Amino acid sequence: MTLEIQNLHVRTEDREILHGVDLTVKRGETHALMGPNGSGKSTLANTLMGNPSYEVTEGRILLDGEDITEADPDERARAGLFLAFQYPATIPGVSVANFLRMAVNAGREEPIKVKEFGTLLRENVDLLKISGDFTKRYLNEGFSGGEKKRAEILQLAMLKPAFAVLDETDSGLDIDALRIVSEGVNAMRTDDRGFLIITHYTRILGYVRPDFVHIMLDGRIVREGGAELADELEEKGYEFVREEVAGSAG
Amino acid sequence: MSSCARRWPGVPASFVEERRKAALQTYEAEAVPTWRRSGFWTTSLRGLDLDALEPRRYEGGLPQLDLGDDQHSALIVQRGANVVHTDVADDRLIVMPLEQAVVEHEELVREYFGKRLPHDESKFAAGTAAFWTGGVFVHVPANVQIEHPIQIAWVIDEPATAQWAHTLIVVGEHSEVKIREFFEAPDFEGQALHSGAFELYALPGAQVDLAHYQDWGRGEVYDLSTRRVEIRRDARVKWVPIHLGGRLTKQTLDIVTAEEGSDMRHTGMYFTERDEHLDLFTSDRHEAGHTTGDTVWKGVLTGESRASYEGLIHILPKAPEVDTYLQTHQMLLSPKARGDAIPSLIVEVDNVKASHGGTVGELDEEQIFYMMTRGLPRAEAVRVLVEGYFEEVVQRLEDPGLEQLVRRRIAEKLKGAEDQVREFIGERAEAV
Repeated sequence: MTLEIQNLHVRTEDREILHGVDLTVKRGETHALMGPNGSGKSTLANTLMGNPSYEVTEGRILLDGEDITEADPDERARAGLFLAFQYPATIPGVSVANFLRMAVNAGREEPIKVKEFGTLLRENVDLLKISGDFTKRYLNEGFSGGEKKRAEILQLAMLKPAFAVLDETDSGLDIDALRIVSEGVNAMRTDDRGFLIITHYTRILGYVRPDFVHIMLDGRIVREGGAELADELEEKGYEFVREEVAGSAG
Repeated sequence: MSSCARRWPGVPASFVEERRKAALQTYEAEAVPTWRRSGFWTTSLRGLDLDALEPRRYEGGLPQLDLGDDQHSALIVQRGANVVHTDVADDRLIVMPLEQAVVEHEELVREYFGKRLPHDESKFAAGTAAFWTGGVFVHVPANVQIEHPIQIAWVIDEPATAQWAHTLIVVGEHSEVKIREFFEAPDFEGQALHSGAFELYALPGAQVDLAHYQDWGRGEVYDLSTRRVEIRRDARVKWVPIHLGGRLTKQTLDIVTAEEGSDMRHTGMYFTERDEHLDLFTSDRHEAGHTTGDTVWKGVLTGESRASYEGLIHILPKAPEVDTYLQTHQMLLSPKARGDAIPSLIVEVDNVKASHGGTVGELDEEQIFYMMTRGLPRAEAVRVLVEGYFEEVVQRLEDPGLEQLVRRRIAEKLKGAEDQVREFIGERAEAV
C-alpha cells in the first residue's frame, strides 16, 4: 500500500521544473522532503494533487498500484490523497463547517448524519485547540497565516486520507501554533496512513520525527537518508549539499 | 366614509385624473426609446410588440406564488390589471388598492403620490402614470413595530398582458416594518409588459427593511420600472433587490438620503441566463449632509445573456460630511455572456468620504482546484463558489424564508447552466 512517484518530469508553460523524481511513501511511514526555495517542492505537491497548471511530460504517479497521473483532483482526493496547501484559496460565503461537511460527504456514499458530523467536528476542533466560532467563519477569509494552516490540518483530521502531503505547513507558524499543529499531525500518524512533509526548515521535524528524509535541489532528489540527514542539514545548510552534489558529479 | 365607499371605484379624485391626462400627452409624444451607452451596450425594445398587449382583468382569488414566508402582516396581490387578493392581518396598517386609497385616503395619497416620480421623465414613466390600474397603497402609522412582513405581489400569468403598476408606500415616523414586493410569472410562450412605478417614503426615524424579488420566468416579460426611496431625518432603509429573471429588464433604482442623519444600505443581486437582457441603473443620492450609505451589487451571467449594472453615487452641493461607498461585482459563467459593471461618482461638495469599485471576472481556477482537492467534482465546486459569492447579498435579507427561496432558485439556475459552465471552464483549463 504505497504512493509511488516514478521518474516524474513536470513542466509549466515556460519551462521544465521537475527532471525525473522518484519517491515512494508506504502507509505507516513519514517522509520529509526538504529543499531551498525554488527547488521544485511545491511543484511536486501540486502535481501529486493534479493541479491543471502543471503538465506531466514523463513518468507516473501510482496510488496503491493504480496509475492516477491523469486523474482529476477530485478523483485523487476520493482515492485517499490529501494536500495541505502552503497558500490555501479563500472561499467567500462558505463557512468552515459547511465546507468540511461537503468534503466529508464527497468521500461517502451516504451523507454523514448531522449528529455524527457534529461529534467528529468537535473532537478535531478540540484536538487542534480551535475556538468554537472558527468553524462558522468563511473559509480562509480574513484568516491569519496560522489560522489558515490550522484550517488545513482540521480538514486533514476530518477527511482521514490514506496519504497526506503537507506543503510548508510549518512556515509562518509561531512556536505554540507549530506545536499544536505538530501534535495534530502526530495524532494522525497511524499504520494505515503515509505522510510526505515538505519543508524548507528542519524546525517541524523536531516535533514530527520523520522515518526518511529526501533533499531536493533544482528539480531532482539529490540526497536521501534517515532522520539524521535533517540534523546534518540543520548543521551544514543547503549550500553544503549543493557543493557536495556538484563535487560528486564533477 | 359611506360616501367614499360609494364613490369607489366610481369617480377618482381629480388630481389623479389630471396627472393621467398630462402623462398621456407625454406618452403619445415620445417615441419608444432605445438606450445606448458608449461601447457595446444597447437596450432596445424593437422586439416588443406593444400593440399586441392589453390589460387583463381577473376574478378575485389567490394565484400561485412563491413568497418564501408563510406569515405576513398584510398580503396584497395584483394579477394583470387588478388587485385580486387583499388580506390585512394587522389592523394598524392600511394596505389596499391604490385606486381605493385615492378615494378613501385622498389627503394622504395627494401628499405623496408622484412626489419623487415625475410623470414626464420618460415614455414608460408617462405610460404608467397614464394607464395604471389597481395599484398598491401601504401606510404604516407612526410609532409602530410591525413584526411580520407586508407582502406585495405582482403577477402576470398570460402572454399579451400589459401591466401598468404603481406602488405607493408611506412609513410613519419612528415605525419599524419589513416590506417585500414580488414580481412573478409562470413560464409561458409569448410577450408581456410590466411597466412599474414604486415610491417609498420613510418619514423621520423610520426603520424600513425592504426587498424586491423578481422572477418573471421563461416567458418574454419586459420589465421597465422606476423605483425611488426617500429617506428622511434619522430614518434608515435597507433595500435588497433580487433579480432572478425576465426577458428584458430596464430599471432605475434610486435611493435618496434627503435629510440629515438618514442612512441607506443597498445590496442587490442578479442572475441572468439564456437570452435575457438586464439593464440596471442605481443611484445613491445624498441631498443632505451627515448621511451615510453603502451599496453592493453582485451578478452572475450564463447562456447568451447580457447584463449591465451602472451604479452612481451622487453627493449634492449642500451635503457635506457624507460617508458612503459603492461596490459592484460581476461574474461571467459562459463564453457567450456579455456584461458590464460601471461604478461612478459625482461629488459636488468638499469634505465627504466616498469610494467606489467594480470588478468583472470569471471563476477563479485556483479556488476550483482547491475545492476539487477536497473531493468535490468540478460542477459542484462551481455551484458552491457561486452560491458563496451571492451569500453576502442573500444574508442581508435577514429573512430565513426568503433566503431559502433565493438559494433554491440560484441552485436551480446553476443546475441548468452546468453544461455550459463545464465547457467554458474546460476550455480555459486547457488554455493554461
